[in-house]
Amino acid sequence: MTGVAMVLRHSLWVALVALLLFFPLTGLLLDGYRLTWRWELPLQLAGGVFCLTLLGGLVRPLIGYWRSGRGLSGLVSSSFAGEGSASVAFFLRAAHGSRFRSLVRVSGFVLLLLVAVSLPFLLGKYWLNVATLALIYVLLGLGLNIVVGLAGLLDLGFVAFYAVGAYGLALGHLHLGLGFWEALPLGGLLAACFGVLLGFPVLRMHGDYLAIVTLGFGEIIRLVLNNWTAFTGGPNGVSAPFPTFFGLEFSRRPQAGETAFHQFFDIPFGNVHRYIFLYLVLLSVSVFLIFVIGRLRRMPLGRAWEALREDEIACRSLGIDPVGVKLSAFAMGAAIGGVGGVFFAASQGFVNPTSFGFHESALVLAIVVLGGLGSTVGTVLAALVVTILPEFLRDFADYRILVFGLAMVGMMIWRPRGLIRPRRPLYPSGEGG
Amino acid sequence: MGLKRMGVVALLVAVVTGLVSGAMAAEAIKIGVGGPMTGAYAAFGEQLWRGAEQAAKDINAAGGIGGRQILLSKGDDACEPKQALAVANRFVDVDGVTAVVGHFCSSSTMPASEIYADAGVLQITPASTNPQVTDRRIETLFRTCGRDDQQGMVGAEFVVKRLKAQRVAILHDKDTYGMGLAEAMKAHLHKLGGKEVLYEGLTRGEKDFNALVTKLKSVGADAVYFGGLHNEAGPLVRQMREQGLKAPLISGDGIMSKDFLLAAGGPQFVEGVYMTFGADPRRMAEGREVVSRFRGAGYEPEGYTLYAYATMQAIAAAVKATGSTEGTVLAKWLHDQKAVDTVMGPKSWDAKGDLHLSPYVIYRWTDKGEYEEMP
Amino acid sequence: MDPFLIGQQVVNGLILGAIYGLIAVGYTMVYGIMGMINFAHGEVYMIAAYLTAIFLALLASFGVDSVPVVLFLTLLGTVAFTALHGWAVERVAYRPLGRSTRLAPLISAIGISLVLQNYLRLSQGARTQGVPPLLEGVIRIPAEGAGGHFVQITYIQVMIVIMALAGMGVLTWLIQATSLGRACRATQQDRVMAELLGVDTGRIISVVFVLGAAMAGVAGVLVTLNYGSFDFFIGFVTGIKAFTAAVLGGIGSLPGAMLGGLVLGLSESFFSGFVNTDYKDVFAFAILIGVLIFRPSGLMGSPEVEKV
Repeated sequence: MTGVAMVLRHSLWVALVALLLFFPLTGLLLDGYRLTWRWELPLQLAGGVFCLTLLGGLVRPLIGYWRSGRGLSGLVSSSFAGEGSASVAFFLRAAHGSRFRSLVRVSGFVLLLLVAVSLPFLLGKYWLNVATLALIYVLLGLGLNIVVGLAGLLDLGFVAFYAVGAYGLALGHLHLGLGFWEALPLGGLLAACFGVLLGFPVLRMHGDYLAIVTLGFGEIIRLVLNNWTAFTGGPNGVSAPFPTFFGLEFSRRPQAGETAFHQFFDIPFGNVHRYIFLYLVLLSVSVFLIFVIGRLRRMPLGRAWEALREDEIACRSLGIDPVGVKLSAFAMGAAIGGVGGVFFAASQGFVNPTSFGFHESALVLAIVVLGGLGSTVGTVLAALVVTILPEFLRDFADYRILVFGLAMVGMMIWRPRGLIRPRRPLYPSGEGG
Repeated sequence: MGLKRMGVVALLVAVVTGLVSGAMAAEAIKIGVGGPMTGAYAAFGEQLWRGAEQAAKDINAAGGIGGRQILLSKGDDACEPKQALAVANRFVDVDGVTAVVGHFCSSSTMPASEIYADAGVLQITPASTNPQVTDRRIETLFRTCGRDDQQGMVGAEFVVKRLKAQRVAILHDKDTYGMGLAEAMKAHLHKLGGKEVLYEGLTRGEKDFNALVTKLKSVGADAVYFGGLHNEAGPLVRQMREQGLKAPLISGDGIMSKDFLLAAGGPQFVEGVYMTFGADPRRMAEGREVVSRFRGAGYEPEGYTLYAYATMQAIAAAVKATGSTEGTVLAKWLHDQKAVDTVMGPKSWDAKGDLHLSPYVIYRWTDKGEYEEMP
Repeated sequence: MDPFLIGQQVVNGLILGAIYGLIAVGYTMVYGIMGMINFAHGEVYMIAAYLTAIFLALLASFGVDSVPVVLFLTLLGTVAFTALHGWAVERVAYRPLGRSTRLAPLISAIGISLVLQNYLRLSQGARTQGVPPLLEGVIRIPAEGAGGHFVQITYIQVMIVIMALAGMGVLTWLIQATSLGRACRATQQDRVMAELLGVDTGRIISVVFVLGAAMAGVAGVLVTLNYGSFDFFIGFVTGIKAFTAAVLGGIGSLPGAMLGGLVLGLSESFFSGFVNTDYKDVFAFAILIGVLIFRPSGLMGSPEVEKV
């Protein structure tokens, strides 16, 4: 009984504070230099807080009771820091997972791939567009995951590389007449160059100083894109070309002398063809990159990234060149971001600087953290959640971003290590991360 | 009543309700309203939504479009091209709209218009004034507002001929709308034989323009043209006055709101501010009743509110006259009309989808914090 | 070049710098204690701007019209309620995280800043809000400068400088000379050790959030009175600039925050005034990167010591 009374008292306190918080900002509505009083809203909100706290207080002991059977295993988890050279040694040693598990994983992967490939033929254009965007964020998440999740370098300006890729396609088309297929590798390469350019001077900085410098770099790129009107079109943006199907255009009326996709295959023109094609190309590039990253993590370079994240000093004493390794992570991440940018520009048909604000960097970082820092599967999952959830929330219209923000806070409270615990494939089995 | 008869009655009721509800569902005309409902431009998204919502309510109350009710769906693009595309695809694909009121930012309207054009959905923007919007000649795209080049021309004429300014400084907010306006102003100024003494962009969202104002003083500007919105224009003019720079500030439709007065900090700062805007729709005879209805609901129909209202009326008129929901049919009808009656007076469109008549007039802010049309 | 114009730009830069500095203090204190970037701090400042307008309107509706009384009560009320918001943000978004991972608070902060922005948008509307000019008047040197040949500072701007100095003074005294401050510094140096020695570190973190929010409250009042208008989006731009100032000065250092603010404010106003306004922000961030390349822990930060 006393327990319930305590919960009640606590809830009352919380509601009282909530009332105090809500009262001026929701109860007094600014109208010019005057105020309109709105008594009922803060009272309702505080009442809502009271009910929630009460409910939470009453339910929590039950959950605790249910959980207690599971022991302490959830609490004992290895932290990132402080594992020292012992874990570095682990990364540098090769080990094989069990054969059965990999079989299950491969068949699951194939099944997922089949679903992903068949999606564009089942979805309408709206959801196809959402799926394409989701895949672009998968790419961005994978890129940033190398920098933040694997190499442990906090990058708050990842959007810069994304912008370089996107503008690479749009400006390359405008000034040099490049098409999508030429821009795809060039965009990645260009972004990698920018990564090295930024990385070289700043990589000796630590943690949060690196974060703010990358943030500044991201802003600089956006501002230059916005201000250099003569070259980039400024705020008006530039249009970007669609990919061609091995030289065949996807337009209703192709340019003189060209054959359009629908003419070549003698099917009626469908606007959706180009989106389906783009989605499939994007899907194959994503799958390819997931495979490459998986391989890289097993290679000395990938292991050096993770080792460096765990303990830089130990790495140096083992003869790893930290600047070179960090630079490679930066460049690799940037290149993937650039490829994502090329796809973004192609799918939008138009780019302007508003798409490359800090908000975007924060979103990609949220994907990486939600994905569990270092887990490829987690990153992919988180990218899908973060892009598709706001679209589902469109029915809430005004409350969409508010709910999204609450979800971010809630996720960090209940699953601070992300959706998926990063699995470190190189550990001997039984040594879960 | 016997069981059998009850059964018959129940069946009849079921059939009738089914028919009625079925008819209602089939007949509702869906119209999308796209604009920045969140983010930095949310105030303008609200104007669009309020205007369209009120128009739909009024039309529905009067029996709908030939007995068919209007059903609105709201699309938030936050003025980001990416979200505008998502909204457009959603309107077309999920909501199945007949027509779209929107979007607000020209940079959202343009990419979204490609989707609507492909799907054959009528799009009328009440607010995107960038020339590029209609210069791309999309058949199903119209606007109920003017163009920045017209606006810039009126502004330049005014600055040179009425204010007799010699040293004009042109500022903008580095955004599609503001820069488009500033460019148009600059071009016409050059045409009139003038030359600007300063052409620079400030940052949206900032409040401190003191350094820029001091620079305006140093170049000896005797008129300042600003392409942008009231959020920045307010602090800019206040800081000009505080630093003792009395040069007039001329701007466009982006400051057409009482909020400009709030942003400037009071009536004593807005004297000597001029702006170009369409003849105030709130003062037109056609609009009086609608305006009073807005005010009755506690909302001042400023800026683009009535433009959105008029847009909705134009869409309703087209659907009613043609009985079609096909974008190309509606568009053809609109192109053919000599005059479509709206809350802002009769409207007609040229082949591009621009209004035949979109007369810009100069307004002047007074030291009482009111704005009035210049004679 | 006209010396009065240069002088005016110095004044412009100093005022802007003082404002950045006041907000930067909140970033620097939280970073010092918790080692995390509190991205929601800009939104706390935005809330302070709304509270200022609400208190001014409230006092006006009660018929209070003596300027010093209005000023004092608004400052008091705004600072108190902003501090309460700072406290609540810490309780809701950071404390439940415990010491999970380094990046969790960062994401949580981004989430909470989205929440606060949209909370204000929904509760107070999206339109620009404003306050009436409260304290008008200006000091000009020379008093009768003809044709713009003078350097001027308004009374509100004088107040900004005084309050910034006073605020820094009080905070420095709090941190350096009181037992609370000693506990703060102990928590900053080694949280576990401080806890072992009986410091209630949870409370200290709350106190730091409250102090940082209170400074943002002071800044909110002064900035709102100075510029006269605000909306729900102002926290973002100002927040990023103030954070840049904090890092420029050496994050974790109180005088560094002020110095960083002044350097940023002056360089922005000089670049804008004498070179080009378009690229003002590019220049500001370039300075940041330049300084950090040559002094990797900011102007006044102490270099990190790596321990093995």
